[in-house]
Amino acid sequence: MRRDALYTILALAVLALSLVPIGIAVFVLGFVYGDSPCVMCWEQRIGMALVALVGLFVLRYGPKPKYIGMGVLVAAWGVFMGLRHTGMHAARDVGQGFSAEILGAHTYTWALLIYLVTVALMGLLLMMTRKEDVEEQPRRLGPLEAFASAVFMVVIAANVVQAFASTGPPPFMGQGDPVRFSFSPKHWVWSAEEWSPAPVSLRGRWSIDKPDTSTPLVDPERGPLANLPVLPVARRIRVGFPLNGTPTDLAYDAATKQFLITTQHGLYLADDTLAAMVRYTIVDAGYSVDLGTFAAAAFLDKGALLAVGENKSFVVVRPSVRADADANFRYFLESAGAFDELSRSRFGTVRARMMYIESAAFDPATASIYTVTVPNNKVKRLVVSRFDRRDMTLSEEFTPTLAPDAGLALSPKRTLDELFVTGSTVADGSLYALSAAYSTLLKIDLASHRVVAAYAVPGLVAPTGLAAVGDELFIVGRGGTVWVVGRK
Amino acid sequence: MEFLNFVVILVTAFLVLRKPHKERLAFGLLVFSVLLMVFLFSVATRTGLLPGVNY
Repeated sequence: MRRDALYTILALAVLALSLVPIGIAVFVLGFVYGDSPCVMCWEQRIGMALVALVGLFVLRYGPKPKYIGMGVLVAAWGVFMGLRHTGMHAARDVGQGFSAEILGAHTYTWALLIYLVTVALMGLLLMMTRKEDVEEQPRRLGPLEAFASAVFMVVIAANVVQAFASTGPPPFMGQGDPVRFSFSPKHWVWSAEEWSPAPVSLRGRWSIDKPDTSTPLVDPERGPLANLPVLPVARRIRVGFPLNGTPTDLAYDAATKQFLITTQHGLYLADDTLAAMVRYTIVDAGYSVDLGTFAAAAFLDKGALLAVGENKSFVVVRPSVRADADANFRYFLESAGAFDELSRSRFGTVRARMMYIESAAFDPATASIYTVTVPNNKVKRLVVSRFDRRDMTLSEEFTPTLAPDAGLALSPKRTLDELFVTGSTVADGSLYALSAAYSTLLKIDLASHRVVAAYAVPGLVAPTGLAAVGDELFIVGRGGTVWVVGRK
Repeated sequence: MEFLNFVVILVTAFLVLRKPHKERLAFGLLVFSVLLMVFLFSVATRTGLLPGVNY
């Protein structure tokens, strides 16, 4: 009785697999609506056919371990295929995807679910199987089992037809962007594009190196903008108190006459001489949102302080004399009684996606936060992103170009995308962006998105932050030195 | 190549259903079919073998 139930369940599973995902895919989506699977969909469909085929093996030869094991292996690979395929489209906007959508989900997403259910069913089958269930001789199939087998054969035969029309005989194989299915040979496209040489990679375009602020190329003369006017260092000072780490950015607030310095996970408020620290905290960067390593700092409105990681994740805190150290234990590693956390989240970008940032600036006139990208091993583009302070949401992105009347010119085959901006600040409607590469300072007009001036700033060593103080610019370096230059 | 794999699956199912004494051959074809599927999927995704998402 129990054994009969086991085979009945298995026959129903084979029938369901054959009819619903594979059968609907070939007869309804393919033959009726002309849908053609892409190369990855083909392999996912084949995987489902193989799971059903393993079911036929078990129906015929009994639940031998090698068949159940093979079923688990195919289903596990199917889960991986489903993840790999779904991952390509999972982050798109609502309703977007690749090819056909069924009941609110695209086909590759359903494949992931089907394979997961298959793995679970295999586990159930194993639990129900006993030693005496292993057959010595091939079994005779019952009526339901024979029916399921016949349906499987018909569905696979139909797939043979569709696969021949859509992918062709070997060595042709499925395509990334297949044309719709047709019974007419005039519309068949057989392609070997998938065999063309291509680099093999584990993570592909996602293998992006973290930014390195110790850029070796510092000579402005070798930068994309040659013959720049020189902005000489007027004086240099040093941060007069110990920091837990190296400085990663600098900001200045004229209202309170205070500087803000960030380190890897630290925020330090200092007086206007940078000689004395007012208060500090070390943020628990691993709590909830992964803040990465702080790369940018800014004073926001109403005394709020912003620290942004190189991964565009941010935290907003505010100094407080009434902070509850115990309540704030989760947010801060040190000085939990000196600050309150207001928010912690991530900046989302479009043009600047897949790029890290090393700077941020706040413009109180427009209540906007600006970030500037740094190039990486995959994407080299200088993108300025603007976020609305009210909802911390992307509101504008642009790639600055040279103003025609600025007297600036790019060297042949050079672009602004080579610059590695590690410090930025807003003053008088312009964004000042300092590139550690080639020690070049850009002045970008925020209304026209043009670079209206650029300067060479020789003598800097690994600059990481920039702050506007009156008519001067303060530049902090990794070593704790602060260089002061005039602002033009 | 997908056409080839479906033909192999069809032949394997035929052996299981109509020539059950050829179990070893059928299982060998099943293993071939699985390996072909894994190989073709890997070829198609070789520029980014792992799921292309944030890790």
